[in-house]
Amino acid sequence: MRNTDTAKAPLLLFWGAALCACIAAIPLVYLAIRIGGAGVSEIISILTRLRTWETVGISVGLAIVVVTACLLISYPTALLLTRTQLPLRRFWFTTVALPLAIPSYVAAYAWVALIPGMNGFWAAALVLTAVSFPYVLLPLLVSLRSADVGLELVARSLGEKPTAAFFATTFRQSIPAAAAGSLLVALYVLSDFGAVALLRVDAFTRVIYTSYRASFDRTNAAVLAGMLVILAVILISLERKARGRSLRFRADKGVASITVPKPLTPIYSTLSSLWFIAIAVISLGIPIISLLIRLSEGTRRELDWAELMNAMVNTAWISALGAVIAVLLALPIATLAANFRRKSTSTIESISYSGLALPGIVIGLSLVYLSLNTVPFLYQSFVLLAFAYAVLFLPKSLGASRSSLEAVPPALGQVAQTLGHTPLRAWLSTSGRISLPGITAGGLLVMLTAMKELPATLMLRPTGFDTLATELWSRTELAAFGAAAPYALALILLAAIPSFALSRGFLTSEKETMVSA
Amino acid sequence: MSAISVQGLSAGYGGEAVINDINFELGEKQLLAVLGPSGSGKSTLLKTIAGFLTPLTGSITLDGILVSDTSSRIPPEKRNIGLVPQEGSLFPHLDVSANIGFGIKRNPDARARVDELLEIIGMKDFAHSRPQELSGGQQQRVALARALAPKPKLILLDEPFTALDTSLRAQMREDIRSILTLTSTTAIMVTHDQEEALATADQLAIMQGGRLIGYGVPLSLYNNPKSIAVAQLLGEINVIPAVVETGNSVRTDFGVSLNQDSGELKPGESGTLIVRPEALAIDESQTPNATIIDSLFHGHDSLISVRMDCGLVVKLREPTHITRTPGARCSVNLTRPGIFLQQNRINP
Repeated sequence: MRNTDTAKAPLLLFWGAALCACIAAIPLVYLAIRIGGAGVSEIISILTRLRTWETVGISVGLAIVVVTACLLISYPTALLLTRTQLPLRRFWFTTVALPLAIPSYVAAYAWVALIPGMNGFWAAALVLTAVSFPYVLLPLLVSLRSADVGLELVARSLGEKPTAAFFATTFRQSIPAAAAGSLLVALYVLSDFGAVALLRVDAFTRVIYTSYRASFDRTNAAVLAGMLVILAVILISLERKARGRSLRFRADKGVASITVPKPLTPIYSTLSSLWFIAIAVISLGIPIISLLIRLSEGTRRELDWAELMNAMVNTAWISALGAVIAVLLALPIATLAANFRRKSTSTIESISYSGLALPGIVIGLSLVYLSLNTVPFLYQSFVLLAFAYAVLFLPKSLGASRSSLEAVPPALGQVAQTLGHTPLRAWLSTSGRISLPGITAGGLLVMLTAMKELPATLMLRPTGFDTLATELWSRTELAAFGAAAPYALALILLAAIPSFALSRGFLTSEKETMVSA
Repeated sequence: MSAISVQGLSAGYGGEAVINDINFELGEKQLLAVLGPSGSGKSTLLKTIAGFLTPLTGSITLDGILVSDTSSRIPPEKRNIGLVPQEGSLFPHLDVSANIGFGIKRNPDARARVDELLEIIGMKDFAHSRPQELSGGQQQRVALARALAPKPKLILLDEPFTALDTSLRAQMREDIRSILTLTSTTAIMVTHDQEEALATADQLAIMQGGRLIGYGVPLSLYNNPKSIAVAQLLGEINVIPAVVETGNSVRTDFGVSLNQDSGELKPGESGTLIVRPEALAIDESQTPNATIIDSLFHGHDSLISVRMDCGLVVKLREPTHITRTPGARCSVNLTRPGIFLQQNRINP
C-alpha cells in the first residue's frame, strides 16, 4: 500500500516543514538583502576591483591544485586497497579514513608549529590535501569494490589487455564517484577558513574575515560572501549530478562479480607499503608528532586546567544546543520528504539544504548583520550561535533522519491507525519510535561537527565565551604554539569519534559483502 | 444484513479517480478475494475501505453504519477494520506478544486475548521472539493475529502471500482460511494470483482498469464468465469465433458445439466461444484435423499448442505421460461445452 508518490501530505505537516525550511534559509536570504541594499554602483566597483579577482583566482586555483592532488593520491591508493593483497590491508583501510578527523586549522597549526616560517599558497595546498583526500578516496573505494568486474572480464575475453580492459570498464564506472568526491573537496577548500587564515593565503574566507574586521568595508565582505555562495552552489549542483550518475550504475539487481585481490611481488609489496607509510606520515604522523613535541615542550606558563575544562564544557553544550535545534528543524522536513514525494516537498527539502552552500564564515557574517540591524538583543548571544550551527549542519541531521524514516514501511503507520491510534500517535509509536536511533545519530553528528566549527564561532560567540576552537585560534594567532597544543589534542580526540564510527561502518559493510559474495 | 456494502464508489488521489463505480455487498463471515492485474485499483479499493482515502463518489457501509461517503469519513482508527499488509508489516521494535497486543493496550483482558490468539495461530512458543527471528509465514500469521486482536468487523489482507515462497503459499492459504473461519471473521483479500483467489475465496471480485468487471462465487465466474477479460483473468482460454445455429448450439470451425449458457440466442448471431484448454482433447481414433506446434511441460500436466487446419491456433491440456512431438498430426475435439459470448459482450 505504498502510494507515497501520489498521496497528499497533511496540511499541518506540509506547512510545518515549509516553515522550518524558511527558518533555515534566513541567513541566505538576509545575505542577499544585505548585498541588494548596498547599491549597484558600490557592487560594481567591488566586482571590478583587481583584488576581488585575485581572491577568486587564489581560491579557485587552490581548489584545483588540491583536487588534482587528491585524485593523484586516491586512485593508486584505492586500487592497491581493493585489487591487491597489500600487507596490513585492513590496517590501511582504517588508517586512510582518519585524516578526516583532523580539522584543517589543527593540521595547519601543527605544520606551522613544526616549521614556523611555513605559509603561502603551496603550504595551504599541502595541508588541505592532507586533510581532505579521504573525501575522494572513500567513495572511490566503495565504487571500485562494488563495480561490476564482470564487465572487465568480458572486455578481457574480447581481447583487451588487462590495463586497457580496466580503463574501458571499471575505471569508467568509478568516474562518477571520483567526480562527486572531487567536488566535495573543492567545496571543502573554498569554505575552509582556518588553514588559509593560519597560513596567510588571501583566499575568499580570509579576505571576507579581514574585511569584516576592518569594519569600514563591510559591503566588500558581503559581496565576496555572495560570490562564494554562488561558487558553492555551482559545486553542489555538479556534485549532485555526479552522485546521481554513480548511483545509476548499481540500479540492476544482478549480483556483481568480485575480483580476487592479486598477490604482489616482494618489490611491489615494499613499494606499496612505502606509499602508504608516506601518506600516513604526511596526513597523520607530522600533525600528531608536532603536537606531541609542543605538548612535551611545555608552555612558558603552566597549563590552566580550569580554562581547558571551561572551554570543553562550553564547546559541548553550545554544540548540543545547536544539534537539538537542527533536529527539531529537520524532523518535519524529513518526515515530509520521506513519505510524500512531490515537487512542492522536494522544493522544501532543497531549501533546507542551503547550509551546504553556506560556508561557516558566510553564515557568521549574515547573522551578524541580521542581529545588528533587526534584533540587536540577539547579537553575540548563545541562541544565535546555536542557530548558526543548526543551519550550517542541518543537512547532516536531515540526511540521517530522512534515510532512517524512509526505511520504515508506511504500512506500519497504517496498521497502527487501523488498530485505533490517531495519526500522530501512530507516527510516534511506529516511524518515530523505530527511526529514533537514526535521528539521534544525526543529532550527534551535528553536535560533533559543530564542536570543530571555527569561523562562525569566532564571529558570533558572546564576549568572553571560549570554545576549544576559539582558544586554539587565539593562541596560534599569538604564536603561542605550546599553549595551543592541549586544545588541538582535545579537538582531534573529539573529532575522531564520528570518523572512527564512519570507518567502522565501512569495514563492517565490507565484511557483509564478502560473506554474501 | 451484509457485513459490508459498497455503493457507486470511486476514489483516487488528488481528485483523479483510480477506481470507478464499484458496487458490491459481502455477507458476514465471508472471504472476498479481489483479483486483478497490478494497477487495476485493488490497493486503492482497500485503502478507501480502510479509511485512508475519501471517496469521490458513492459510499461504504459497514455493518449497517455509513463509514465513508463524499462528505464525511470515519477515520481509520475508529472504523474497527483490521489490516494485514504485504510484508515487513510487523513492528520491528516489539516482540510477537507486543505486536499482537498493540491495538488492545487499554483492554483489561489484553493478556488473555494475546494468549488466545497465540494459540489460534499456533505460535505459543514464540511469544517473546522478535519479528526478525521469524520466518515469512510466521510473520504473516502474527500480522493476522495482530489485526484480529481488537475483534474487528472486517479484515483487509493486501496480497498477504506475495513475500512467501511458492512451497509455503498453499499451506499459508489454508492456515489463514482456517483462522478466519475459527474466528468468524469477514475478510477482503487482494491478490493478483488467480489460483490463490479461486482456492481461497467464498466470493470473487475481478477488477480491471479501476472497474469491477466480475463479481460472484468463484466456480460460477470460472465456468460462466460474462466477458473475455474475466475468463482470461481466471485462467488460460481459447477464443474461437462462432455463429449461433439453434437456441443452444453454435457452429465453429471445429464443428457444432453445445453452448452452456441457454440464453436467448438468435440463429445467425455471431460471437465468440470461450473454451478452456481442459475442455479440448486429442482423439487418436479420428482423422487428423490439426498439427502439433509445441508442448510446454508444467509438471502435473502439459499445455499443448496445435494449429487447426483452418489456421486457428488453440491450446489444450493433457496429462504428462503422453509425449507430443511438434509437427505430428492429430485430431482435436471439444469434450465439454464452451461458453458463447455475444459480440456486444466480448469487451465490457
